[in-house]
Amino acid sequence: MILYDFDYERPNTLQEATALLRQTEGKARLLAGGTDLLPNMRVQVLKPTMLISLGAITPRPPQAELDGSIRIDALTRLADLENSEFVRREIPMLAESAHVVGGNQIRQVATLGGNLCQETRCLYLNQEHDYQFTAPCYKRNGDCCYPFPGNKPGTCWSVYMSDTAPALIALSANVDIIGEAGVRTVPAETLFTGNSLEPLWLARTEIISSVVVPPIPTGFGWGYHKSTIRGGLEFAMANIAVALWLENDRKTCAGARIVVGAVSEGPLRALATEKSLVGQVLNADLLWKAADDASNEINPLPHHGFTRNYLNENIRVYLRRTLITAFERAYGMDA
Amino acid sequence: MSYLETISIEDTANVAKIEPKGRSRFITLSINGERHEITVKPRKMLIEVIRDTVGLTGTKGSCSSGTCGACTVLLSGRPVLSCITLAVECDGKEIRTVEDLAENGKLSALQEAFLDQGAVQCGFCTPGMLMSATALLERHSKPSLAQIKKGLEGNLCRCTGYNAIVDAVLQVSGQGVTPVMK
Repeated sequence: MILYDFDYERPNTLQEATALLRQTEGKARLLAGGTDLLPNMRVQVLKPTMLISLGAITPRPPQAELDGSIRIDALTRLADLENSEFVRREIPMLAESAHVVGGNQIRQVATLGGNLCQETRCLYLNQEHDYQFTAPCYKRNGDCCYPFPGNKPGTCWSVYMSDTAPALIALSANVDIIGEAGVRTVPAETLFTGNSLEPLWLARTEIISSVVVPPIPTGFGWGYHKSTIRGGLEFAMANIAVALWLENDRKTCAGARIVVGAVSEGPLRALATEKSLVGQVLNADLLWKAADDASNEINPLPHHGFTRNYLNENIRVYLRRTLITAFERAYGMDA
Repeated sequence: MSYLETISIEDTANVAKIEPKGRSRFITLSINGERHEITVKPRKMLIEVIRDTVGLTGTKGSCSSGTCGACTVLLSGRPVLSCITLAVECDGKEIRTVEDLAENGKLSALQEAFLDQGAVQCGFCTPGMLMSATALLERHSKPSLAQIKKGLEGNLCRCTGYNAIVDAVLQVSGQGVTPVMK
């Protein structure tokens, strides 16, 4: 239960919702599925004075645009995304990333936009601060990072754990954002600040309205892996999204995007490794080496009891398998 | 002139800005086919309304943070966690709880299958399990093992080790599992 009173509004359009956000000077929060927001309000990581429910707004189903890109309403529920025949056929990586989020009941109400806008997590932060963990950390306007007391002042090492964000970045997706000045479109990749205190470049009055996945290139293959302990109903220790596309000879790499999420303040890309793959004739040895390079290139934050070394090794092993899967799919071996 | 008349409209607007009032809202819920008209504060969760206001205590609350699934109810046919759903969000919607499964005092086939397989031990997770399984069976009349595991992944059980529960769903969907407790 939530122990303090807040106001509640239920606008009928996103424009009305932005107007409400403006009126409340950013002290309000949007409520879509609420699976991240409400538990955070319960433990009082967040204390908005008003919730603006988006429950009255019906999302449009995912649809193809004239230029071949696919537009997905940000209010699309993750369960609808994973069960949509259209999404599973056209952008299976996104369907897979939606499929591994939380548990079934979470996905039935959680939305794609909400998954992108989720709060960062840390063992210390997401706790009820009543009888233990009582001292506030930086994220709660305190003066120390208790899990990592050696951190530079003001540095929060909580981790951004969205499962869909790495997939969207690997797919070069864009997000449409409705704000005071109208709609702006930015690449999903540039949404992240790299600062856990404010993980998204999103003003308090702005709303992500939809996600646009550009046309998939020919010779495309994908791989997605979420490393977990139990395999369900939990946040990732690392999640890996790989997109590879090949030249017409189906051997030479034309482009690659390697994204690792849930190990940092935002999803990380292995840019140097991606670059080194382009133009190469791919084979298993090369992909193994690429996985080693990428895991060295990516610098994970230790989180939830996993050390930096362990996460590096975890990423190395699963990135090998994910790269191979992506190559097999691009080559057409899985068909 | 009374005190109330001396406060201008601007003043009340300022007060509202500083301190959220959390004004109660009038909502209509259909719970197990019965219409309930209630006034609730926005902060009230659906489980608090179901258990405390309406008095249906079959739905169990455990973690209050959406990690255990004990509080699962069906909201417009979808399994949702009533401990992280605001009651005001459910205005005008249809809710089904575990009390809806039995008819005229007779347990449903799914509940009987849970008994046949010994899928109930301490019983705390059972109402949530039953609602998740009901939603699954309404979607797929003969779910595969993988679908059952995925459908029940949001429900934690500390006693049974899950196999008996999966068997119960297999039994009720007629997939070659025989009762072990009878």
